[in-house]
Amino acid sequence: MAAPPEVEASSTTPAGTGGPAADTGGRTRLGDLLHYAGTPLVVGAALIGLYLWVQGLELDVIEARQLRREVLTGQLLQHLRLTIWSTVIVLALAIPLGIVATRTATRRLAPAIIGLGNAGQAIPSLGLLALIFFAARNVDFFPSTGTIPVVAALVGYSFLPILRNTMVGLDQVDAAVLEAGRGMGLSSTQILRRIELPLAVPVILAGVRTALVLNVGTATLAFLFGGGGLGRTIFQGFGLQRLPLLVTGAVLVSALALLIDWLAGLVEERLTPRGL
Amino acid sequence: MRHLSKTTAGAAALALLLTACGADDFGGGDDTATGDDTTTGDTTTDDGTDADADAAADAVEPGSESLDGATITVGSKDFDEQLILGEISKLLLEDAGATVVDEIDLGSTFAAREALTGGQIDHYWEYTGTAWIEFYGETEPIADREEQYEAVRELEVGEGLYWLEPSPFNNTYGIAMSREAHDELGVDTLTELGELIESDPDAATLCVESEFEARSDGLPGMEAHYGYEFDPNNVSVLDTGVIYGATADRDPCNFGEIFTTDGRIATLDLVVLEDDQSFFPLYNVSPVFVEDVYEQYGQTLSDLYAPVTAALDDETMAELNARVSSENERPLDVAQDWLTENDFIG
Repeated sequence: MAAPPEVEASSTTPAGTGGPAADTGGRTRLGDLLHYAGTPLVVGAALIGLYLWVQGLELDVIEARQLRREVLTGQLLQHLRLTIWSTVIVLALAIPLGIVATRTATRRLAPAIIGLGNAGQAIPSLGLLALIFFAARNVDFFPSTGTIPVVAALVGYSFLPILRNTMVGLDQVDAAVLEAGRGMGLSSTQILRRIELPLAVPVILAGVRTALVLNVGTATLAFLFGGGGLGRTIFQGFGLQRLPLLVTGAVLVSALALLIDWLAGLVEERLTPRGL
Repeated sequence: MRHLSKTTAGAAALALLLTACGADDFGGGDDTATGDDTTTGDTTTDDGTDADADAAADAVEPGSESLDGATITVGSKDFDEQLILGEISKLLLEDAGATVVDEIDLGSTFAAREALTGGQIDHYWEYTGTAWIEFYGETEPIADREEQYEAVRELEVGEGLYWLEPSPFNNTYGIAMSREAHDELGVDTLTELGELIESDPDAATLCVESEFEARSDGLPGMEAHYGYEFDPNNVSVLDTGVIYGATADRDPCNFGEIFTTDGRIATLDLVVLEDDQSFFPLYNVSPVFVEDVYEQYGQTLSDLYAPVTAALDDETMAELNARVSSENERPLDVAQDWLTENDFIG
């Protein structure tokens, strides 16, 4: 295990991976390359390593059957779909609610909204899946198994990081800046759009990254309720004591989480206003 | 390098996390079961061994203190049937004078097995098919109950683990459907299920566990044995606990994989299809002991357990399971009542 501060540094400020050359803010070419290509290179190496390792094994019938390319690709796509859907939906819900909770007029709703987010995350992810399953069984129009209930559970689970980061991001905007905006005759909507949100973007996006990674991890449980995903391979490996299945599933999920976090990092960098 | 260690650490952490989850939350994976009077009874193989059992019953009088001074740690997996079996062991051993350390409800098969091989427990009940396929990585089960048991027993002696005589009851896989689906589709056997796949593939929807999906004694084996294949789009992978309700509701599937001693089969009025070409392997259960204990008390233990194990047939086990799963009785009370009623303990 890497030392926590190191992990922290490399995941939040990818520039840190540039090594000594990158420590001054002015990046070298090598620093740039590592900055942008570091994670994909490492993930690629891990996947090639995994592939070679599995190729070198004598697989038994069960392992060979479950490690076929179409099986794993199918699970990977299911996993990706669950992650993307849940993240898109949670963004669409949590950011507006975060905004509502920080407006002067509606601020008194904040405790209720946060309570909602807290509840979603306080329930263990498996418990949340089960709750939604049992609730949906009693409702005709809502399927109790498959992609939809699983996405609903993932949304509930990753709601809090985005909500809270939106609120923190908006709250931390300097009051003097808002005052200046008002002084320039901007309406409160304009202040929100042109000043508050852009200034809150880095914090909000940090929440989005957290939510994405949470969703990749939690989606490993989706298969229990018919949502599919790579959890199937992991649990088959665990239940049947087949290490190649366990390792393949775990490495693929980790690779997916790292790549998604990396992509989100690139997006974060682009969307962060200059000068911050 | 930093990144690499991060990747590895990530993978390891995830694996650990999942292992923990597996142990705590859904050990039900392979096992499941909660029971009730289920099944067909076709799977019962109550041959042999009972004569010995009866003879042995006389050898140890109820209440005789033949295990005086022994301290035995009893474990079990985490589903109803295993909890009942664990309590049976505890009461039986205590009655024979042993001091019992209670480690019942350890989690999954994996957790219980690790505890046994790692020396944290001295004994729990394990299924022959589980040992054969999961512990020894075999892919083809043995169709004969006695041969399957012998094969496992011999392998296990090499590991310093001793398997007493197995139970007649057989907690194996089966395919079930709701009463309504049964009336509508008219499928009674696994062979007829194949005919349905031919004639009306969209009605042949199946719910299975992830493990059943992979096992050679599960779906792939069943399909190969019976010579048909489900449309992969009609197969839903679900948690064991979800399958029973999903099958009863016919949402999302008409057919569901079940365990033959599970209480929910009767509670939900599910119809179990006959395995008419005897494909599913045998999962008889045996009390398993570690070497230390077996060497010292082996004969006493064999005598003590033989009549009890022999009395555990499909119906009995399903009934005991049902008292826990459907009537919410405590496994300890169920075990106590049953042992007392049958004069196995004084």
